[in-house]
Amino acid sequence: MSSAVVQPVGGAARRARPAPALSRALTYVCGGLLLAALLEVVLDASVGHTQLIPYTPDVAGWLRETGIGELLGYRVFLVALLVSTAAYGGLLALARREAISRRWAIGLVVALGVIACVGPVLLSTDVFSYIAYARMGVLHGVNPYLHGPDAIRGDPIFRYVGEDWHHTATAYGPLYTLLSYPVAWLGVLGALVAMKAVTLAASLGTLWLTWRCARTRRLDPVFAVLVVGANPLYVIYGLGGAHNDVITMLLMMAAVALTFAGRDAPAAASVVAGALVKATTAAMLPFMLLARRRWATVWGTVAALAVAAAVSYPVFGVHGLDVVAALNRDAALVSKDSFATEIAHLLGKNGVFPVDHDLLKAALVVIVAHLLWRTWRGYDWVAASGWTLLAISVTSTWLLAWYTLWSLPLSVVTRDRRLLVATLAVQALFVAHQLAPLFSPVPS
Amino acid sequence: MRGPSGDPAVSAGPSPRPAGSGEAGSPVRAGSIWARLPERLQPRERERCGRGDLRRVESTLLVLAFILLAVAVVNDVVRETHVNERLAADARTWRTLTHHLDYQNVSDEQDLKNFTTRDVLCGDTQPGPPDARPQVCLIMTGPILGDGRRAARGGFYEPPYRPDVAANRYACFGSAVREGLCRLPTPPGYPDAPIRGADG
Repeated sequence: MSSAVVQPVGGAARRARPAPALSRALTYVCGGLLLAALLEVVLDASVGHTQLIPYTPDVAGWLRETGIGELLGYRVFLVALLVSTAAYGGLLALARREAISRRWAIGLVVALGVIACVGPVLLSTDVFSYIAYARMGVLHGVNPYLHGPDAIRGDPIFRYVGEDWHHTATAYGPLYTLLSYPVAWLGVLGALVAMKAVTLAASLGTLWLTWRCARTRRLDPVFAVLVVGANPLYVIYGLGGAHNDVITMLLMMAAVALTFAGRDAPAAASVVAGALVKATTAAMLPFMLLARRRWATVWGTVAALAVAAAVSYPVFGVHGLDVVAALNRDAALVSKDSFATEIAHLLGKNGVFPVDHDLLKAALVVIVAHLLWRTWRGYDWVAASGWTLLAISVTSTWLLAWYTLWSLPLSVVTRDRRLLVATLAVQALFVAHQLAPLFSPVPS
Repeated sequence: MRGPSGDPAVSAGPSPRPAGSGEAGSPVRAGSIWARLPERLQPRERERCGRGDLRRVESTLLVLAFILLAVAVVNDVVRETHVNERLAADARTWRTLTHHLDYQNVSDEQDLKNFTTRDVLCGDTQPGPPDARPQVCLIMTGPILGDGRRAARGGFYEPPYRPDVAANRYACFGSAVREGLCRLPTPPGYPDAPIRGADG
């Protein structure tokens, strides 16, 4: 993949200019800060459980034995997050102005991904829920769409599952549940290692497709890969937590790449596959259908759904395809990081009420309707999909860091740069909202 | 259904052709089912290059939305900072008044219904796992004082492993008596002495 093949548009002159020594040095500093901050978090996290690090099978004992880290507290974590965010911002600013070495950029994002994945699980217990659902189905004969992990209280994975999710049946699609089934045979530790390996592989695939799509659209692939692969929320939360959102991003980017190659049926099937991992991916489909207006897209969708139904029905029954029910259940949840909660506090309310859920859904419907109309009239469907995914995360009352990642790879393969700016702005606000413990002690 | 070409480089941006020109305005092929629609309803391969009014309106709305979210975030960070400071003072007060300076597992219950600064902090009366011993709870109100503590106006006790409801509270003292928070008689052998400094 030579960057010389396609001259990037809108920055060709700048990209052709080699980086002066100062810019090159600053680039190395930013990359070094990103690596150092991540290493600090991973080494400290390997020491043991804290409010930030869940109880984890001993997957990173070799890191703990180095004796370098200390228990990860809020202050160190937030400083590392701030340093990463500042370095990321600096790196992107430099990448827009000067040519950054392709090898250096790829090396940086690969190193960040590997470091995030070799350490313990960061900031979330979700991966243990994934493993618990797999073990429920494979080892205990329990349908994960009907029961929560509390149905297997005696299983060794249960102690690692987040307390809030003990009674919660899986909200993930049947494709993901089926794909996760083989890890049940690997034991708890083996399953965790497998999940991390899959996340890393999905991340590398996502970055490769992002590169390809950016090149196809004559955008700067180095910049695109840095935006995604060096993003602190992507690395620390997404990869560090081994979230399946990375797999959905892979399938989303596969759909975009296939569409660019004119392969509409597989592209639609890829979107459906993404939706059968995590339902939000389905938001791309109407935009793809409207923009492409080809029967192949329809056939691809129908065929993928038919295959999914044929495979998942014998295993899960109708519950495996009842994605709407899972979405409705999750839509009722409220997290303290959601913008809806923050606006409610700003307006002097104690929190989000049912009427607020309705207002947010109405706002989302208006946004999506506007984007659908614009797509029909020629707006880039990839950008419209990105806007929709961003709008879903912003209007959701249950906002988590990795939800702000959905629109990120799409934003770097579209010419509407407002999407990238908006996605990064939302992420910056998310990071800012985490900072309260820096200004006051967290009560213990 | 006949769709647009798959050339992403071409279809990525607005059409360079002027708005209102015949070709740019009607990219639908003759014979296509979409050609029967009025021009303003027909699908397009590329957006027309208009005056940019729509884009300007969208961008303005995005900026306004960002300002609203940013103000909400800053407000929430300030609010959380104050809450954290208050809860840290509460924990300090509880440990000082109960003489359990090394206790870590002190639970706090905020008044999330009315958003007041009244907090109830509970912890074990003797060393043990969290909630495994009778609990002593203190009611904190008012601002943080000069010594980094808050005023404890009253309190009550609870047997271990019981939810915090009036039927499980006993031996109220201070403001808890006036609020009628206790309905359970003191169980035999359980501690029930009012906490000095928090007895109203």
